[in-house]
Amino acid sequence: MEILIQQLVNSLSVASVTILIGMGITLIFGLAGIVNFAHGEFLMIGGIATWFFVGMGLNFFVALVLAMVVVGALGFVAERGLFRFTLDRPMNGFIMSIGLSVILQHVVVRVFDEFQKSTPDPLNTVWVVGDVHIIAMRAVVVAITAVVVAITYFGISRSRYGLALRASVADQSTAELMGIPVRRYVTGVFVYGSILAGLGGALMIGLFPITPFVGSVIITRGFVVSLMGGLGNVNGAVLAGLVLGLVDGFSAGYGYPEWTDAYSLVIMIVILVVRPQGLLGGTLGPKAS
Amino acid sequence: MTMEFLNLKMPMVRGGSHAKAGTDPHSPDRRIEQIVFAVALIVLVAALPSLNIGYRFLSIAITTGYTAIALYGLGLQFGQAGIMSVGHAAMLGIGAYTAAMLSNHLGIGFWAALPASIVLAAIAGGLVGLPSLRVSGQHYIIITFCFCALLVICLTNGGSFTGAATGLDVGSIPRVLGINFDKLFNYYYLVLGALAITLATTYAIMNSSYGRTLRAIRENEQLARAIGINVDMHKIGVFMASGAFAGLAGILQVYYLRHISPTLYGAFPSLYLALMVMLGGGRLLYGPLIGAIIVNFLPEVMDLNPVDSRIAYGVALLIVILLLPGGVSSGLLAIYRWVGGLLVRRGSKAGS
Repeated sequence: MEILIQQLVNSLSVASVTILIGMGITLIFGLAGIVNFAHGEFLMIGGIATWFFVGMGLNFFVALVLAMVVVGALGFVAERGLFRFTLDRPMNGFIMSIGLSVILQHVVVRVFDEFQKSTPDPLNTVWVVGDVHIIAMRAVVVAITAVVVAITYFGISRSRYGLALRASVADQSTAELMGIPVRRYVTGVFVYGSILAGLGGALMIGLFPITPFVGSVIITRGFVVSLMGGLGNVNGAVLAGLVLGLVDGFSAGYGYPEWTDAYSLVIMIVILVVRPQGLLGGTLGPKAS
Repeated sequence: MTMEFLNLKMPMVRGGSHAKAGTDPHSPDRRIEQIVFAVALIVLVAALPSLNIGYRFLSIAITTGYTAIALYGLGLQFGQAGIMSVGHAAMLGIGAYTAAMLSNHLGIGFWAALPASIVLAAIAGGLVGLPSLRVSGQHYIIITFCFCALLVICLTNGGSFTGAATGLDVGSIPRVLGINFDKLFNYYYLVLGALAITLATTYAIMNSSYGRTLRAIRENEQLARAIGINVDMHKIGVFMASGAFAGLAGILQVYYLRHISPTLYGAFPSLYLALMVMLGGGRLLYGPLIGAIIVNFLPEVMDLNPVDSRIAYGVALLIVILLLPGGVSSGLLAIYRWVGGLLVRRGSKAGS
């Protein structure tokens, strides 16, 4: 039983990172209409930036905020410099993002190296509840993710900005006529999603070591989560992230760990074929071209 | 001249149906031009080894050759039918692993395994293509990526059957008519022959009614369906053709490298294949070849290390997509036409 609860907490912390990446993708894909294959690399850069700042002697949580700023700025540059020009041809944007992911990976390898990097456990405490040992950092990761999910959910579904955003997805030209600066919203969503990736990367390196090539693994998870939950659907991403994180965690503990990634891939193919709008319904993403 | 330049370039940028004007087989002088160009290319490439170019250059040429064969499959499905894949290395992997497994478990050599590789890869291509009948655009690209990642997981977990993470070894190709394919020189001609067949097949497909139908589907799938084209069958057909080319490339690759492992067919090689097709341009006959040549020879010519050269590919891809969506081949064709137009005008002035 204790092992089960510990397993649950561990899985939840892994699920948190998956939720953050999935939420970023679901927002950028579903609401801004951009498929950013380099999103995993954004996460990786968030982690590497955290590692770099911690190495400079900064506190982990200061480094985390700085990493979010760095990745947010990167997202801004990528959107304004690249994706802005392919909004009407999303397929080109997709392929461009593949190029971007190759560039980012190898720039990191070039600037640092290709070996895995880790930070010392930022909290270095273990809470003991009954017989259950909970690593404090893991609990903090879950808590931070919960707060971010709540902010994002209310931002999208309750605030007037979220309303304007959803309006511009539903009907771009009408939204423009209503005075909504659609382009600016696209940039805003892209930067917000990138910041989430930066946060995810920072939290990830707080949990386990990462390499410059972690992005391509994590991007698949991110797509599974966002497509499973329905694009643009924050609730869906959270639910799917939880399910996937738990399946991953438990299969690593009890099942066949070497097949862990295969489950999520099969789930994704089946969902895309059977219900492209996701299990909970979403925007279906941008029109295919 | 300016108008011709615009006519040529604009539809490519917009992806219009006139993009194929450059290879219109119905104009006789274009056809002569094409034949002259093809013959010149074949002579040049066939003469390469006798120029004493060295072992390293020759091995890069072989890599370029089989990569280009795989790219022609991807070029057909992307350039003609408009369906991109970022999992094409998986098809290559099916071909390569078929050959390696036949050789390891049943002792079947290159020549008997060749048709098996091609057929199995074609079937795999058709299967991976099935979801495209329901799912389109970016969603389908993500599916291809999943299939590729799945294959790598299966190969890695396949135990001794697939050689797991360390992979499999193969022997050498048996002699035919006394030709020893262990010599790089002879292997080069083998790959070259396969490439020539690939090019000819691609040309035939592009200029057949089948190719025109594919382009009709690319431009407007609903309209194509409405006028009675069996869209589903045509799509699966192009996926199978694409898989067949990849299978051929795969078996050539495995007998060249003599050793394969799952990482050769994972996400990264797939992304590079997609990158090469985009770089060269999928719609014109020589596009994939140009893409393969650029990517394989660039590090050698510019003396870049692997990390720098990958950054360079990425940057080149961004530039091509932003400025030249038809790929380098369409840019070269535009320049060629422009120069040709200048010469013709100069000539007619001198003549009058």
